[in-house]
Amino acid sequence: MSILENLNTPLMFIIAAVPIIFIALTCLFFLVKSYRAGLAMGMDKKKLKTAITSSATFTVLPSVSILLGVITLSGTLGIPLPWLRLSVIGALHYEGNVADIAARASGLPGGLGSGVLTAQTFVTIGMVMTAGILIGAILCIFVLKSYLAKVNKTGGKAKDEKASGKKPFGDVVFSAMFIGLVSAYIGSYLGTGTSQGNWTPLIVAGVSAAAMGIFEYFSRVKNVKWLDNFSMACSMLVGMAVAVVINM
Amino acid sequence: METKTTTAAQQFYTDYNKQVHMIGRIIVAITIVLLLGAPLTMGAVLGVSPDWAAFAKGWAQVAIIYWTSGVIEFLIYAPMLGSGASYLAFITGNLINLKIPCAANARDICGTTAGAPENDVVSTLSVATSSLVNIVVLAVGVMCLVPLSPILSNEALQPAFENVIPALFGALAFKYFSQSLKVTVIPLAAMCIIFVLMPSLISNVSMLILVSGALAIGIAYLLYKNNKL
Repeated sequence: MSILENLNTPLMFIIAAVPIIFIALTCLFFLVKSYRAGLAMGMDKKKLKTAITSSATFTVLPSVSILLGVITLSGTLGIPLPWLRLSVIGALHYEGNVADIAARASGLPGGLGSGVLTAQTFVTIGMVMTAGILIGAILCIFVLKSYLAKVNKTGGKAKDEKASGKKPFGDVVFSAMFIGLVSAYIGSYLGTGTSQGNWTPLIVAGVSAAAMGIFEYFSRVKNVKWLDNFSMACSMLVGMAVAVVINM
Repeated sequence: METKTTTAAQQFYTDYNKQVHMIGRIIVAITIVLLLGAPLTMGAVLGVSPDWAAFAKGWAQVAIIYWTSGVIEFLIYAPMLGSGASYLAFITGNLINLKIPCAANARDICGTTAGAPENDVVSTLSVATSSLVNIVVLAVGVMCLVPLSPILSNEALQPAFENVIPALFGALAFKYFSQSLKVTVIPLAAMCIIFVLMPSLISNVSMLILVSGALAIGIAYLLYKNNKL
């Protein structure tokens, strides 16, 4: 049996499925709990349902892209480990990079896929991939409660601001952080265009933005509210379709 | 958002939040054990244990980058998400490319305010739903890996899948840039200049996000303080 065949046995799938099922049940538990809490706090049922449907439609396309990450890694690490990593704690931009670092540290100087993978190298890579991304979860256990309590101390201030008609500063920070996040990505697409001659990411981002503008126009100006749930996914689809067309 | 403004509702939220923290901590601790246990169990099945020296070397290299950015991500994103969503987001992963934009989208549609109890509820619903959908899509995808492979690996469709993230951030760009052009101009111009002049930084976008985010927050703070927003 080759190493890849060993990594793709039913038992390996079962081992990977245990944490995935546990986390899926956790999500279900929090979904029900927060929905009930929303109702108990007097929130509109319609809005709670909108939060769920819009998040579901929003997630489908990025998930397909994450599935491609699983497929990409499955050629070198088998299917169960990448499936586990990208279903739960992992991140698309993180896995390949870290697997490569771990492979080099484990004695594959050319990185992941450059030589024959041994069972021990595989386990070492799996451990590095897991331990390397745990900081957020660890901070949640030890720091989250006190940190949020500290941050929310300004909550009263925010209510005063709202009452005075001023936009709460929390909202301003949230939007600003997102503007920073998106600016970095857009800048990197421009850099990709000028340095590598690959303008596709920038064009795709531009087309998606334009599509989003059209959806927002109908949603906000023409009051076609149901579009809100699909505007993000549809804008992305338009951008992705353009990527196919310009690469034909 | 219309909510019960009674003290009963506030008391309910306080109790709910306490429970979320207690359950969240237990679940995260169990998840860490399960996640670390998975590769070790796979190793046991294969009859090997990790090469601990290589593990320490690899982990140190990874931790310098990802534990540093992980701490900063935690400090920035946890207040945006609130308690329940934070516990879920930090164990379900894909934070920047999925959970944060997804929660922001839901929050925007529902019109909730950062830090408010309603925002906590909406973010939790959003991250829980997103995580479940991602788990289902990947499970179905893995089950159908053989029949789906020809479609997903079809050469003509590769540009579409390679550009999911630009499509996502393009759509988000319109949403957020149009909200505040005053805050946008300088960070966007700075990032464009940096990446054009130093294209080697393209592989480190996640680090530059922190610079760009700090710049945007600084500008927003100044504008806010001077009532220009």
